[in-house]
Formats: sequence, C-alpha cells, structure tokens
Amino acid sequence: MNAIETTKLTKYYGKSRGIVDVDLTVEQGEIFGFIGPNGAGKSTTIRTLLGLIHPTSGSATIFGKDITKDGPRIREDVGYLPSEVFYYDDMRAIDLLKYSASFYKKDPKTIEKRIRDLAELLDLDLKKKIDDLSYGNKKKVGIIQGLAHEPKLIILDEPTGGLDPLIQQQFFNLLREENAKGATILFSSHILSEVQRLCDRVAIIKDGTIIKVEQIKTLLENSTKRFTLEMVTAPDASRFKIEGVSDFQMTARSASFLFRGRINDVTRILAELDLTDLLVEEPDLEEIFLHYYEKDDSQ
Amino acid sequence: MNVYLREMKAHRIGLMWWCLGMIALVSSGMAKYAAYETAGGSITAIFDALPKAVLVVFGMQGFDLTKASGFFGVLFLYIAVMAAIHAALLGAGLISKEERDRTSEFLYAKPISRGTALTAKFLAGLTNVVVLNIATALSSVYFVDYFSKGAPVGNEITLLMVGLLFLQLIFFSMSALVAGVVKRPKAAPSIATSIMFLTFLIAYLVNMSEKLDFLKYVTPFKYFDALTLLTDGKLDPLYVGMSVLIVASSVVGTYRFYNARDLTV
Amino acid sequence: MNVFLRELTAYRKSTIIWAASLSGIILIFMALYPAFTTDITATKHILSQLPVALRTALNISLANFFTLYGFFGYLLGFAMLAASIQAMNLGVGIIAKEVSGKTADFLLSKPISRATVVTSKLAAVLVTLLVTNVVFWTVSYFAAMAVSKEPFEAGTFFLLLSTLLLVQLIFLALGTLFAVLLPKVKSVVSVSLPTVFTFYIIGAIGDVLENDSVRYVSPFRFYDTNYIITNVSLEGRYLAVEAALIVVTVTLAYVIYLKKDVRSST
Repeated sequence: MNAIETTKLTKYYGKSRGIVDVDLTVEQGEIFGFIGPNGAGKSTTIRTLLGLIHPTSGSATIFGKDITKDGPRIREDVGYLPSEVFYYDDMRAIDLLKYSASFYKKDPKTIEKRIRDLAELLDLDLKKKIDDLSYGNKKKVGIIQGLAHEPKLIILDEPTGGLDPLIQQQFFNLLREENAKGATILFSSHILSEVQRLCDRVAIIKDGTIIKVEQIKTLLENSTKRFTLEMVTAPDASRFKIEGVSDFQMTARSASFLFRGRINDVTRILAELDLTDLLVEEPDLEEIFLHYYEKDDSQ
Repeated sequence: MNVYLREMKAHRIGLMWWCLGMIALVSSGMAKYAAYETAGGSITAIFDALPKAVLVVFGMQGFDLTKASGFFGVLFLYIAVMAAIHAALLGAGLISKEERDRTSEFLYAKPISRGTALTAKFLAGLTNVVVLNIATALSSVYFVDYFSKGAPVGNEITLLMVGLLFLQLIFFSMSALVAGVVKRPKAAPSIATSIMFLTFLIAYLVNMSEKLDFLKYVTPFKYFDALTLLTDGKLDPLYVGMSVLIVASSVVGTYRFYNARDLTV
Repeated sequence: MNVFLRELTAYRKSTIIWAASLSGIILIFMALYPAFTTDITATKHILSQLPVALRTALNISLANFFTLYGFFGYLLGFAMLAASIQAMNLGVGIIAKEVSGKTADFLLSKPISRATVVTSKLAAVLVTLLVTNVVFWTVSYFAAMAVSKEPFEAGTFFLLLSTLLLVQLIFLALGTLFAVLLPKVKSVVSVSLPTVFTFYIIGAIGDVLENDSVRYVSPFRFYDTNYIITNVSLEGRYLAVEAALIVVTVTLAYVIYLKKDVRSST
C-alpha cells in the first residue's frame, strides 16, 4: 500500500487554477520531495490532502483511505508542519503542545515525553508564551507538534524558513531518524539543495501540473556544474572534450566550461592537470528549471 | 473534550466582564426606579392616554411603571440588546477565529473533523450564553426584589429571562451561521452584528406604528417582548416554535456550509 | 500623502455601506412622522397633566417635543448610535492595524515617522466621516422637506445634524485611545460595539432621571435637543468638554503609540 496516491487531483479556485490532474504516488518509507517555483501548486496539493480545502475533481488516498471520507482517521497518522506557523497566542508552548497531543489516540504521556525530548534537542523553552516567541522558535513548536506523536506520514511545507543552519541540521537529522523508523516523508520546498540532501525521489511541479518525477540521483547527474580552473600551464584543449562538456573557454592559464554527467569523468581529467585554483559552482535553481522548461517545451 | 475546554478557557475573562456589565446595568437601571415609585398610580393613566408613537419615544409603552417589575420591563430592552451583542459576537467569533488567526492549519490538520470542532465550539458558546443569562437573572431577581419592597417578582423575572435565553440562542446560532458561510473571517462579526442591529431597529419601528405590525415576525426582539410577556404571563408558543426553528436550522446550516467550503488561509 | 490616499480608497466600500445605512434609517423613521403627529393638541394636553418634576425628568418640553425638530432630534439618537459605531470602528482600526497587524512591519520600516502615519490615517478617517455626514445631512434635509407639513428653519435643523458628527468625533478619539491601550485587537467590532452601546445605555438610563451629571459621562447626552431648538445654538460648555476630551484622548493616544514597541506580525 502506498503512503499517498493521488488520481487526477484537481483544484480550481473559482476560475484560477490551483492544481490540475496531479497524479502522485509516494511509497511507504520513502522521503519524497516536492519542488516547484512559488505559486506552482505545492501548498494547494498539500492542503487538499489534509482536507483543509476540497478538490474540484479527482481523488486521493493516504494509506489506502480516501481523503474526502476518512479525513480524521487519516490524520491520526499524519504530522503536518505548514509554511507559516500561527498558534494561539495566549498559550505557553508546552500548553499548545499538550493541546496538540490531546487530539491523538496515542498515550498522552508518551507523547509528552517525546515533546520534552524534542524541545531539548531543538533548544526551545517550553514555558514561554507563543506570543513571545521569535518566528524561528515558533517554527520549532511547529516541528514538535508535527513529530511528537510519531506519525507514519510527515508532511512538510517549506519547513526550514526561519530556522538557523544549526537547527536545520538537527531538524534534518530528526527527519532521517523518523524515516529510519519507517516514517514516510513528503517534503515540499523551493530550495533545491535541501531537497537534494534529504530526498530519495522528487516531483517537479509547475503551473499546477507535475512535470517530472525522478530519482534524486538522476536529478543530480543531470544538473550542470560550472568549472573554472587556474593552471600553471594550459594543456591541449582536446583533453577537455569529453561527453557532457559544453561552453568551453580557455586562455593561457585558465579554462572554464559547463559539465553535465558523472562527476568522476571530470575529476579524472582534472587530477592529471597542474592546477593552482579550482572553482566548482552549483547550478542555481533557475538553471535547473530552465533546463526542465526547455526539455518540456521541446517534447 | 479538549477543544471545548480550550474555548472555555479562552473566553473566561471576557465572560466575567460581560457578567459584571450586565449586573451593573440591572442595578443602576433599577436604582432609577425610586423616582417613579413616588409619583404613584396617576402616571399610568396619563401614559395610557398617549399615542403609541409618543410612548415609544420614552420606551415605556404600556408598562406599569409604578411596579418594580413594570419598570424592569422597560429596562429589559436594553438588557436584551446587550445580551444580543454578546451572543452575536460570540457566535461569529467562535467559528471564524480559526481562520481569522490562521490557526486553522493547526487545528484542522489534527485528527478531528470540522463537525466535531464545531460541536465543541457550539457547546462552549452555549455555556457562555447560559452563564450570562444566569448572572442577569440572579441580579435581576435580587435588584427588582430589593426595590419592589416585598411584592413577589420571581415569576415575572423568570419569564423574561427565559425569553432572553431564546433571544440569545437565536442570535448566537444565526451569527455562527454567518461565520460558517462567509469566507472572510474578519467580515463575519460585522455582518452578524449588523443583522442583529437591523432587527433591533425593526423592533422599534414595529413599536412605533401599528401599520408595521406585520414586521414583528422578522425581528426576534418582538418574539420576546417584555410588555407582551408581562401582560400575558406566558410565552407565545408560536414564537417559541419559530425560535426553535431558527436556532435548529442555523445550527444545521453552520455545519453544512462550514464543512463544504474551503478554509480560508 | 500616500498613506492618506491609500487609506481613503481602502475605506471606500465601507463608507458607502455606512452612508447608505444611515440614510436608510433616517428615511424609514421620517416616514413615520405622520403617525407621530396625529392629534398633537390632544397629546400635549394629556402630557401637561403630568407632574412637572416628571416632565423635567423625562425631558418633555411641551413646546419643542412635537415639532419636526423634536421628532428628528429623537430619531437622530438612533442614527447617532450607528454612526458612533462607524466612528469608533475607524478609530480603533487606525491604530490596531499599525500596532500588531501584518502591515505594521511594512509601513513602519519605511522612511516615515509613526506620527505621520497616524496623522495621515486620521485625516483619511476624518474625510470618510465628513463624506458620510454630507450624504446623511442631504438625505435628512430632503426627507424632512418631504414629510413636514409646516416650514422649518434649516439652521436649527442642521445644528441638530451637526451633533451627529460631533459625537462621532468623540468616539473616533476614544477608539484611537482604546487601540493603543489594548494589547491585541483581533476584532475591531468586539471593542467598539459594546463600548458604544454601553455609553448609549448609560445615557438612556441616566436620561430618564437626573439630567446633568450623566450628561458629562455619556457623549450621547452632550447635546440636548430641546436646548438646540430653543436657543438655536449648541451649549458652549459641552462643546468645550468635547474639545478637551478629544484633545486629551488623541494626544494621549499619540504619546503612547509613539513609545510603544511594535509587535512583529509573526
């Protein structure tokens, strides 16, 4: 049984499209990434899965249960961290988390222990009032309320906004731990590097439709990197003419090119050179999407 | 239920202030009664002779102002209006607050159906309304009795308070319905209270002119009109039936509409 | 100037609704004027039999009560109630939004002082109230022309109408003060409605007996219909009280607001 399965899931807000004919399958136990530019439909898809908005047409199941009919039952096993967190200001963090725990059938004492463990790990003062928390700290509350009941499916919508790099690391470690225990993770983001770090497979969504679903490995292979070299003496240009190299330029002491393919092919060449400096630049998101838009348009 | 308890806690302080306000209203209102008492019975005859419209201006058509309970009847309209405001703001607020404060993504992503949450909210609202009613009732009985020098007033006050409860429930449920239907959470309390205010105005108009008597079915303030209740000594079954109908359909409607629409984010 | 214009356009829709509603109230009530004036002579005779003390208490002036002014003055009370809600809504709204609304971070990080922001918004609100009043006054005047059997003094009439704006200004000022004092206003209506109604009820109950002390407490009692009709002017004393009240309230609101920490919207 798949964790999530959507069939032609469609949502229109009046006349404007939210998502159109989205077919997604997320297998149990995988970490599935969901990337796309702002406004592509990531949040719409997630909100529809959670029952916060109703689909215009199409259907979806989570752990085999229909999202329209079995909402509350499904959400017993789901943990959700939204992109923007708002909680009841008059409550203290611990009160809110206990309130959150009270909705689940799991033993409250177990959940409370997990709350405290997580709070310690993320360095969150549980006694503070929600109102007095910084945005990042509110996000931590969000993480805890999403994970404390050890859900089988964790849905994250742009979760790392507002978190400092250290906490981000801990957060990702947490997610990996949960995944190791068998939890499925749906991770939506527009930050490619994060998705790369964490996910097994990824779906790319643009203008409301899924463009591609791919293994991360393949995505990485297909991503272009820019190499800029400084050398003692330049070798013959033909050395660089391997498959995957493009936009090659060379001067007396430097060279630069774009490369797409298996990194080892390039490093093998570079190892034989007399380098004084080497710069390898990651593609930015625009380059990636440009790539996919091109591919899409040409097909 | 957790949602019920949470709502009760959140409304704690507000409810206390409203109860205090009601008590203040009743006590200060009845304190004015003293002047009327001294004037004696001749007033009633005089007032009875005036055209209806004129009496409405003073808000005292038909009441026997020499009796404490009669005076209370005049006061009742103000009590009813304040209770209606409370009920309307409560009903609209309870339902729309999750979307207004954007906590809907927290609450409704929990393993709870919207219906269950609504039920808890309705119950919390009901509790608040009843508490306000009891506070009003107790202070009314106390102060009217205090000023009426021993004449029994319990029955009349009780009757009015039951009428008040119906009134509160009508506005509470109607306002909840408004919030259930309307997508913009900030607009809900404004719309709900506007409706309430409109019915209040219509009640005044009905009082002023016989020609507009047919409008009395449109405004809940006339279902439980103090003068009528004090004169008849009982509730009109037609109005009670209408109230039950309004409350029931509003509640059902709230569930229907709130479940069916998208939650505003 | 930009803040002023933006606020003005933002209030457009609600201003139209308020102006229409207030006009509606007046039209409906004025239509009842004929019913009110049936057999004035007989009514006056009956009322003259009431003990003087009671008549004073009830504020029944035999001379003024059954004129158009008297009637209008009475129903103006209703319109005033509604209009005060509009004014207080606006007053609370000005500050509440800039204290902890999502736009607070945006607006207050611009090269503009807080005082300028508030002043611009206040100006926009004043224009809004003025527009509403112009509509209201016009409608009232024509309604009065239509139902009144005798000619009436426009001067007295407009003086009565001016009390609406005057009371609105008080509640506007009060609204701004409330907004700076309350930590978080989630629903403007839940602040203004109970407040306005409370003052109205205080005024109404206090009105029934013991005129003077209550008159200082409730804005609705500042301007007495009978006095205006008889003297064709407003009582200077209360104008002064109002002016002082507004100056103090608004100044206090400014001072507190300028010192306040602005909560972030998250």
